Amino acid sequence: MFSLPVWVAVLALVYLDFPIRVGTAAICAHGQECHAPSLADLFDRVIQQSSRVHGISSELHSDYEQYFFPSKNHIGKRKCHTYSILTPADKENAQRLGREELTEVILRLLGAWGDPLSQLHRSMTQDQNQDFNHYSSNKALEMSDMVHELRSGVTKVAEKMKLLGVISNALGYMSSPESLAPSSVSSSYERGDFNSIDHHDLLYCFRRDSNKVKNYLRILKCTTLPELDC
Amino acid sequence: MRRAVGSVPLLLMLFFIGHAKETRYSPPGKPKLTSCRSPEKETFTCWWEPGSDGGLPTTYALYYRKENSDAVYECPDYHTAGENSCFFNKNDTSIWVNYNITVVATNALGSNFSDPVDVDVVYIVQPHTPENVTVTVMEDKDGPFLRVSWEPPRKADTRSGWITLIYELRVKLEGEEEWEEHRAGQQKMFNIFSLRSGGMYLVQVRCKPDHGFWSEWSSTTYIKVPDYFPRETSVWILIAVFSAFIFFILTWILNLKSNSVKHCLLPPVPGPKIKGFDKQLLKNGRSEEVFSALVVPGFPPTTSSDCEDLLVEYLEVYTPEEQELILEEGKDLQEGCLKSKGSPSDSDSGRGSCDSHTLLMEKCGEGEGKEEKHQERAQKGKRQQKHQTGWEEGDVSHTREDVLSPDMSEGRVKTWPSVFSPLPQYSSRPLDHQGSLETARQLCLSDSLFPPPSTSSHLSYNAKEGLALGSGQQEFYLGKKQTHPSNPQSQPRWHLQAHSDFNISSMDRKQAASGLQLPGFRSTEYVEVQRVNQEDMVILQPLFSSSCQRDGHLQIGQGEDYSKVKGEDGDSCYTTSTAASSQVTGKPTSCAGTAMPVQEEMVLAANGYVDAATMLL
Repeated sequence: MFSLPVWVAVLALVYLDFPIRVGTAAICAHGQECHAPSLADLFDRVIQQSSRVHGISSELHSDYEQYFFPSKNHIGKRKCHTYSILTPADKENAQRLGREELTEVILRLLGAWGDPLSQLHRSMTQDQNQDFNHYSSNKALEMSDMVHELRSGVTKVAEKMKLLGVISNALGYMSSPESLAPSSVSSSYERGDFNSIDHHDLLYCFRRDSNKVKNYLRILKCTTLPELDC
Repeated sequence: MRRAVGSVPLLLMLFFIGHAKETRYSPPGKPKLTSCRSPEKETFTCWWEPGSDGGLPTTYALYYRKENSDAVYECPDYHTAGENSCFFNKNDTSIWVNYNITVVATNALGSNFSDPVDVDVVYIVQPHTPENVTVTVMEDKDGPFLRVSWEPPRKADTRSGWITLIYELRVKLEGEEEWEEHRAGQQKMFNIFSLRSGGMYLVQVRCKPDHGFWSEWSSTTYIKVPDYFPRETSVWILIAVFSAFIFFILTWILNLKSNSVKHCLLPPVPGPKIKGFDKQLLKNGRSEEVFSALVVPGFPPTTSSDCEDLLVEYLEVYTPEEQELILEEGKDLQEGCLKSKGSPSDSDSGRGSCDSHTLLMEKCGEGEGKEEKHQERAQKGKRQQKHQTGWEEGDVSHTREDVLSPDMSEGRVKTWPSVFSPLPQYSSRPLDHQGSLETARQLCLSDSLFPPPSTSSHLSYNAKEGLALGSGQQEFYLGKKQTHPSNPQSQPRWHLQAHSDFNISSMDRKQAASGLQLPGFRSTEYVEVQRVNQEDMVILQPLFSSSCQRDGHLQIGQGEDYSKVKGEDGDSCYTTSTAASSQVTGKPTSCAGTAMPVQEEMVLAANGYVDAATMLL
């Protein structure tokens, strides 16, 4: 109904606008000199994000534990799919690791959980337990999204650190983080036949790994920027 | 020998077994792991609770397994942490690893395993209390405040970021019960404001890892806040001083001008302005004295020296039923009481000056009261016994039972205030033996007001038919209305006004017994209005004959220069003076003296009397 020039104009605007949106624009007011967030700010953001992720995972896990497994200590023989990722199990080992490796471990962990979390969410929504799973599936979705964001955030932190010369450029894993997860374990997830027990185990594993991530990030921050509240 | 030695343990064992059976030894009870705690996330300790020992010495052992490993290890350290505990040092502690811990109690008879417990060190961290809690008082522009600072527990490694602690502190005043708690987050310093001056404060701090247990409260730190003066108080003091200053000034000014203020707020009460009235006596509270002081010795004049000034005025009311003569005696009015009805028209048209309460009495003080009293009495049908104490009635006896007393003969002439307007005036002439004459202000229609057949015993005038006053249906009120309720007649009544204090005397001829004689009257000259000439002058003639007399009608005395104008019911002899407003249409019946309706106002003498002498004769 509109004339052709109008359509052309609209399309032009859309296409012109698109690259702008795609490219990352600094959110700065006019006339203000744009400052990229400092390393300290980045660290604070990712640490807060990881703390939130861990909080949600703890909630979900305790929900499952109360709802399905009232008796405590039902750990059973589970094996988390990230067990192959070697993570420092105490402070000395973590400090001995160094910044680059620590960053790498973090990224590995975060990468290994991307898919399983979305699968968990999908499985939860399909579950028969409507009330419980509906509420929990939202959390799982949120968790999954946040992990993605956290991963990109940590990547930015690493880039920033490289920029600042804090860490060397000898990091090769970042190109393909998805391949970190052991295939055997991921295949079981890809099977898709999760049940509640699987959910519970998965949540247990993720809770622990998110705690690791949070802790490693804090160590990373405090070794890199010791002056702030460490 | 060896065999003997070898058999000893066997014997001993048999002995023990025999003994054991007697003393009921049993295998140990089940121990129970109570808690495991890590203070810094690097080591941890587990405690257990032993069960019954079964009477035998029991040993306890703790075994653990790590996650995803089947190797069973025993507790490395049973002593560091005390009794019934197992301490895991740094080398044996792994974080984010699941420990499966079991305690075994063993005695000679057996062993007992506790329930296994899964422990992940990350979630059992309970730090020590914060250290070096220092509180100092610092000054600010708003006042002092407390600065609390502390350090993390020694063992917790927060500097490397290995453990993150959040802190909480609580404060209270000494002697209080409730603590005031504050979350301090990760910071190691906190400020407390709004302190009480001179108060002693108690401060405590504790901490917790982001996922773990709260530590114990640190030992109390005492701090005393120095005395200081709060700024708000000083402002209030300033305001108070200023207000007090202003208040004092106002009070002083008020004091200076107290008189004018008093005059403005409390105006003086006007006192009585009666001649001869003594305020002091009134204040003393003796009313009798006050009133007696008002009595002027020369007043009222008892002698008829100046009869012209005074006219006695009274009315006689005849009540045929009761055959009573109601006397009402008027009082002597001072000359001053006379109010010249100069106005030709009686302002209270339709009402005679009988009701000239205000007119008559305005200068006569308390006389009014007495008149009213009189009227009341008359209402009851009693004789009027009016005597005014203050007044000297002279020979006029007011206390009359039923007869028109001879006192009447004293020459009191009753003047009826004219109903409508001042009747033709009569000049008052002194009567020799009369009492005080009062100068009534008006002449009043009397007869017309008499209801001979009326049953009313009170002073009331009945407007009869033919009343010059007007139609019989007309009602005229002289003053207060006193209608006898039982009077069936609906005739209008004339009511006497008390204050006009008339003595209504109705003479009943038949009441011979009553002695209603009119000797006294004889002494008085009554004039009847014969007619009214064209000039609207009332022609009066002395009433000698009884042609116009009626039973119960008052005779008009003779020989008087003044006449009492009365109206006779149904008869002539009406003297009517009509006020301008009233329409008196007397319908005089046959009578010798026909009353003429007076169409117009009469000329009134100053005293309200129609001077018969001048007019008629």
